[in-house]
Amino acid sequence: MIFDLSRIAANNGWAMALTGAILVLLGLSLLSLIISQLHKILGFFEKQAKSLPVEEIKPAQASHADLFNDLEATVTLYQSLTAGLGERFDLAQLYRLAHKDQLPHPHLTLRTLRENGFLIASGDGMFSWKNA
Amino acid sequence: MELALDFLKNTGFAMADWRYLMMILVGILFCYLSIAKKYEPLLLLPIGFGIIIGNIPFFKGFGLGIYENNSVLHYLYFGVTSGLYPSIVFLGLGAMTDFSSMLARPKLMLLGAAAQMGIYFTLLSALALGFDPKESASVAIIGGADGPTSIFLTAKLAPHLIGPVAIAAYSYMALIPIIQPPIMRLLTTRQERLIRMPDTERHVSRKELVFFPVVGVLLCCFLAPASIPLLGPFFLGNILKVSGVVDRLAKTASSAVIDTATIFLGFTVGASTQADVFITPKALGIFFLGSIAFSIATASGVLFAKIMNLFLKEKINPLLGAAGVSAVPGSAREVHLTAQKEDPGNYLLMHAMACNASGVIGSAICAGILWSFMMG
Repeated sequence: MIFDLSRIAANNGWAMALTGAILVLLGLSLLSLIISQLHKILGFFEKQAKSLPVEEIKPAQASHADLFNDLEATVTLYQSLTAGLGERFDLAQLYRLAHKDQLPHPHLTLRTLRENGFLIASGDGMFSWKNA
Repeated sequence: MELALDFLKNTGFAMADWRYLMMILVGILFCYLSIAKKYEPLLLLPIGFGIIIGNIPFFKGFGLGIYENNSVLHYLYFGVTSGLYPSIVFLGLGAMTDFSSMLARPKLMLLGAAAQMGIYFTLLSALALGFDPKESASVAIIGGADGPTSIFLTAKLAPHLIGPVAIAAYSYMALIPIIQPPIMRLLTTRQERLIRMPDTERHVSRKELVFFPVVGVLLCCFLAPASIPLLGPFFLGNILKVSGVVDRLAKTASSAVIDTATIFLGFTVGASTQADVFITPKALGIFFLGSIAFSIATASGVLFAKIMNLFLKEKINPLLGAAGVSAVPGSAREVHLTAQKEDPGNYLLMHAMACNASGVIGSAICAGILWSFMMG
């Protein structure tokens, strides 16, 4: 076995060694960079998850019992929804708005409001508030 | 009488020549080193016993030898030639590897990359010595100090060299306590060896540990797709472990599965060193180049750490560079012991394990890169 440097060039050895060395250094440097930032990236997403409007959802999760115990508050809440609909409005429209705002049991609530006389039928399938 | 004479002619005693006897002695030496000196016993013992068995002379054509079709050994050897055992070993390794140390100290990963330079230096040396490019790549990967990776790449590129490459790789891994310390001491000053690394690093969350195998496999395998057979199972094993939802699988991968693969890998690699195909000038060249590869890998890791120190405010102990080779955990242990010889209060083990883990990934990437080059 004789040591002959010309064989390296003949077999493209210099290019293979240089490219290979650069690739492995590059790959592990990149991986090192990513893992050095990984905890920050995960922390960022955790913060994002925490800053979601959890509080806004909470009132929507009020229990059914609360609704019946505080009908006045429910009326005020539902009246605010119909503010843009005019004096007379369609119940289906009100239902959609309540559902969109994630209010609990909108169907049941509307029935309760009707049964308790807060929502009054004004003909043609339209309704209005008792004290409107 | 004639029958008795014929029988005697067909016994191993009559067919043995000096090559077989020499290889059997090597096998016995491996067994001795693994049992008495506890040098890499998990691998050296099956390999040593495999060498003994593989070098018992036998009548060719009976379907006994590892290179004869339909022999039991040949079927077992398929796991080596197909690259199956190394992949399974990597699955188990992944399930046993704790990356938290590396994730807490990402800059130490660079030492795992630097230590792979021994591979490319040896590639050039092997080419210059007259090995063909595929053989050169197989010899060069010994510099990664990773047995399964060496076997895998050699099985793909130069299957006729599996025996010498595997024996060289595992021999040098077993000889870490002899090879590495002089190089480490030669390339570092006492003051450098006394550098203490900070004990407290940031806490690595479970989420990071779970994300790492996904990020790791994507990045490494996109960079070098040929490393999928090694890094795929490796990161799979790791996610089984860190996910915490499949403890049974993780436990099996890190015990029964890897142990079974290790037994058959070691045994068949040992048996493949049949004297008539093993003792060749090329094998001697491989042993010579293997030692160079391992030494250069150690040196390049240490020197790279010294270069990093030129730019870092908080210096790192350059001994850690020697743990960039992927001999887990042998080289990490040796780095730790070398540092403790200078200062018994200097604990480098966890830092060295970070470099070691990075070295495993680095050598598998190198294998993928070399394979791609040779197939291209």
